[in-house]
Amino acid sequence: MRQLQLFRTLILRPLRRDLLRTALTIVSVALGVGVVIAIDLAGDAATGSFRSSLETLVGRTDLEIAANGGVDERWMAALTALPVNARFAPVIETQGVLDRTGSVTVYGVDFVSQRPEAEAAHPLPRDLNCAIVVSSGLARRLDVKAGDRLSLTLSDRRRTFEVAGLAEAKDAEFILLDIAAAQRGLNQYGKLDRIDVFVSPREDFSRVERQLRATLPASYRLEKPGTRSEENQRMLRAFRWNLRVLSYISLVVGAFLIYNTISVSVVRRRTEIGILRAVGASRRRVLWLFLGEALLFGLAGSVAGIVFGRAMAEGAVGLIADTVNSLYVSSRPAEVALHPSAVAAAIAAGVAVAVLSALAPAREAMQVAPVEAMGRGAHEHHSRMHARRNLCWGLTAAVIAAAVSQVRPVDGKPVAGYAATLLAVAAMAMAAPAVVTGLSAGTRSASRWLFGPEGLLAVRGLAASLARTSVVVGALATAIAMMASVGIMVGSFRETVLVWLNTQLRADLYIRPAGRASADEHPALSSDVAGVVSAVPGVEAVDDFHALEFKYEGQRATLGAGNAEIVRRYGRLRFLPGQDRGSILRSLEGRDRVIVSEPFANKHGVHANDVLNLPLGDRLVKVVVAGIYYEYSSERGFVIFDRSTLLKYLPNLPATNLAVYVRRGANPEEVRHAVEARLANYRVTVAPNRALRQNAVTIFDRTFAITYALEGVAIAVAMLGAANSLLAMVLDRRREFGLLRYLGAAPAQIRRMILLEAGFLGIAANLLGLALGFVLSLVLIYVINKQSFGWTIQFHPPLALLAGASTLVWMTTVLAGIYPARAAARLNPIEVIHEE
Amino acid sequence: MNPPRLELRRASKIYQTNGQKLEALRDVSLVLEPGTVTALVGRSGCGKTTLLNLAGAMDFPTSGEVLIDGRATSSLREEELTALRRTRIGFVFQFFQLLPALTVLENVELPLLLAGSPRAREAARDRLEWVELADKVNSFPYQLSGGQMQRVAMARALAHSPEILIADEPTGNLDNASGEQVLALLGDAAGRFGATVLVATHSAEAAAVAHTRIQLRDGRVIAVERA
Repeated sequence: MRQLQLFRTLILRPLRRDLLRTALTIVSVALGVGVVIAIDLAGDAATGSFRSSLETLVGRTDLEIAANGGVDERWMAALTALPVNARFAPVIETQGVLDRTGSVTVYGVDFVSQRPEAEAAHPLPRDLNCAIVVSSGLARRLDVKAGDRLSLTLSDRRRTFEVAGLAEAKDAEFILLDIAAAQRGLNQYGKLDRIDVFVSPREDFSRVERQLRATLPASYRLEKPGTRSEENQRMLRAFRWNLRVLSYISLVVGAFLIYNTISVSVVRRRTEIGILRAVGASRRRVLWLFLGEALLFGLAGSVAGIVFGRAMAEGAVGLIADTVNSLYVSSRPAEVALHPSAVAAAIAAGVAVAVLSALAPAREAMQVAPVEAMGRGAHEHHSRMHARRNLCWGLTAAVIAAAVSQVRPVDGKPVAGYAATLLAVAAMAMAAPAVVTGLSAGTRSASRWLFGPEGLLAVRGLAASLARTSVVVGALATAIAMMASVGIMVGSFRETVLVWLNTQLRADLYIRPAGRASADEHPALSSDVAGVVSAVPGVEAVDDFHALEFKYEGQRATLGAGNAEIVRRYGRLRFLPGQDRGSILRSLEGRDRVIVSEPFANKHGVHANDVLNLPLGDRLVKVVVAGIYYEYSSERGFVIFDRSTLLKYLPNLPATNLAVYVRRGANPEEVRHAVEARLANYRVTVAPNRALRQNAVTIFDRTFAITYALEGVAIAVAMLGAANSLLAMVLDRRREFGLLRYLGAAPAQIRRMILLEAGFLGIAANLLGLALGFVLSLVLIYVINKQSFGWTIQFHPPLALLAGASTLVWMTTVLAGIYPARAAARLNPIEVIHEE
Repeated sequence: MNPPRLELRRASKIYQTNGQKLEALRDVSLVLEPGTVTALVGRSGCGKTTLLNLAGAMDFPTSGEVLIDGRATSSLREEELTALRRTRIGFVFQFFQLLPALTVLENVELPLLLAGSPRAREAARDRLEWVELADKVNSFPYQLSGGQMQRVAMARALAHSPEILIADEPTGNLDNASGEQVLALLGDAAGRFGATVLVATHSAEAAAVAHTRIQLRDGRVIAVERA
């Protein structure tokens, strides 16, 4: 009880008196916690569920049989004949486009043998080719019932189907099509995406598994359900981790501010602490008082942060889901759900950061000697800053950071890269006092000359409150460094992608099925489209590209095939240094040789001339890696054959897009119109080169939208901290301001002095922040990005953007000084001079 | 006839705190001429500091008037008051009140810098010579003794050659030797620079230096002794 009373008097009462600063501190913590929780919640919701929604209808499968290039449907007969008590269901799974609403999951199932029990009583539709079954959830949303007609596009063909019935499947949204109709619609003759296996509870599961492995080809996969979901989550891991780490930056900035706030609290209460100690309070009691203050900030900030975070998550879901679909895998975002575990984690994070940040100043408080109570005149305590010693420690931390950054990833995560980043931030924080001291000494004469006594007092003031100003500079610099490093990384990446687009996209037109496909979807073109386009006057060459999802060593990638000769003649594909493009591409035709993308090579540790065992259809095919090329459309990775080779192993593999080269001298626009006219009956997109590049750049920019938002929050937290600290500084130096009024300073001069001090703080923070940002960008580009995604990014810092952004931050820092400046000018000099 | 340098006419000061009235000064009338040292003596809380604040135009009487060269301070605008402090009034405090971040030279030239004087540095050096601290120009306050700090404060207070010097317990925090040095400087300020010096003090030695000793009790002048 005594402790509580002490806490109320010594801590709570001053906090209530200083409501503005208390609120600023809590909001800073809240923003930091809010951002962390928002990214987590939004990430969970955006990556949604990768489990097949078919499970809600047919129940959970026990095993799935799959193969690269599809399962040959002839295996159904062999499997059904096996002496096991299990049921086998062929499945095709794809995305279709409904006229009214857009993308929808479409399952091809055997209507005859796989009808849900509930539907068994109803007769089958007469024409299975034109019938669909709509899930109850989708039917509710579209307001359709049995007998209605819906227009659905599969691949590049739009057809009208009759709704034969509804399937009760809770809120899941999908359409069922007879499997044969699905195969026809997708040009997937004789192929299935998988065979679902349902093992009877009375059967020995392992025996079934053994029988299946013995029967099926070695290139076929036998997977437990949820494997795909786990693989997708694993694939997204690097992306989500990087976002998480970015979100933690705001918390790190918040940590600086808590440290500062508690330090101010300790400085102000030195006399009270001395009195407490003089009347018998133990050091430990004093320690717990200030840790209690931090705990209060942490709790209040975390609770507010949960509310912020929940709201921010709603906005972030769409951005993250967009990126997941564009670059990784199709996913339908779920509702943002705030689980008790997320709440507990947020509170734990906020409290932990607050308490840990307060440890050093709280320990300082417990060292206050009772004699502090005896001091006449409450002179401001100047904690001695060992700027040079801290600089040495900072340099040591920097060296360790450089060494740590070279360590290889752990379980695919660039843990060493993150650690190097943290060490670099710590190094900067330790160097901050020396930088502030140096800036103060170095600009003294110039400041006085330019700004008169206000300038002199401002630079001197920075060094006088070194313990406080270096923490504010550290916080601001961290936020600026994050902004600068991410800005350099994204700018470099963007420039690299633009250069790559120039080499990659050389055709005049690109044709693919209409509708938006996720990174793992490759809707097929009808087999006659290439021929139609080739016959259009003005078309010189058509390269039909065949792509499909495949798995290699448990990770998803894209297998593709094109015309190597056309690519060699017209393209500018860039290979790793030392690899000759022409000879590599010439070596592919008709041979078991492939080229792989850089991310694929890095993920699987593949080098030129290595041999890969690729499961293709029923076979395991040994191929030689002829070369490794730069590729930035997806970090999933590509393995590319010449068309002639892949079709040898996967005949009837449909084309998924066409690259059309216009004859020299022909008008590309006219040719495009002619192609569109010839393809009027197909649902395809005919995109000119320029539009495709623009689209690629738009997707790129959208991918980083969430990153820019996170940067904005970190800067906002730092700004709040700067305003908070400037206000604290004004309150703590009030005697100085009172004295200046006695010496003849006008209120406007006091205001100008504070604004100049804010300006110098901003300059110091910018210098440190930009330097740190440059270093961090190297870690981001050459370590974290490389280890996470496998890409080589060329270094292209966007100098104009950085200059603009840092100027804006500097101006905001000065603006943060306006209120403290006015408060300083309004102080009553008589009261503050005679305070004792 | 010229009006007196500094005059208080039936000046009273009442403070209101939490609904309670506190009469810090009651009906005080004083006339102070150039080149004189006037000492205010009395116990703590007798109104010395209040009187000093009124005389220095840092505060204003609740009733009565404070006149500097015949002009009532309460009639002056903020800019005029600022100009007054920059050019005509200097202050010395018990606890020195030097800015710890500035060197000795910068502390002394500060009032002149605030006034925009082009000769700030030169004038500051002169004053530091006067207080015999010319060798300490680049030192910081924490490197000085109490006596040295108060001499720097004296130099600062007289850097702009004010006509009125207000000193609140200038020797209160000093040993005897340092205190005597400061008192000598106060006398010098009046004699050499012609300043009107008003000093609040508990010290008998300080009171002994003054031309006039004014005794205060409970905000009233109860005795005036002329040396």
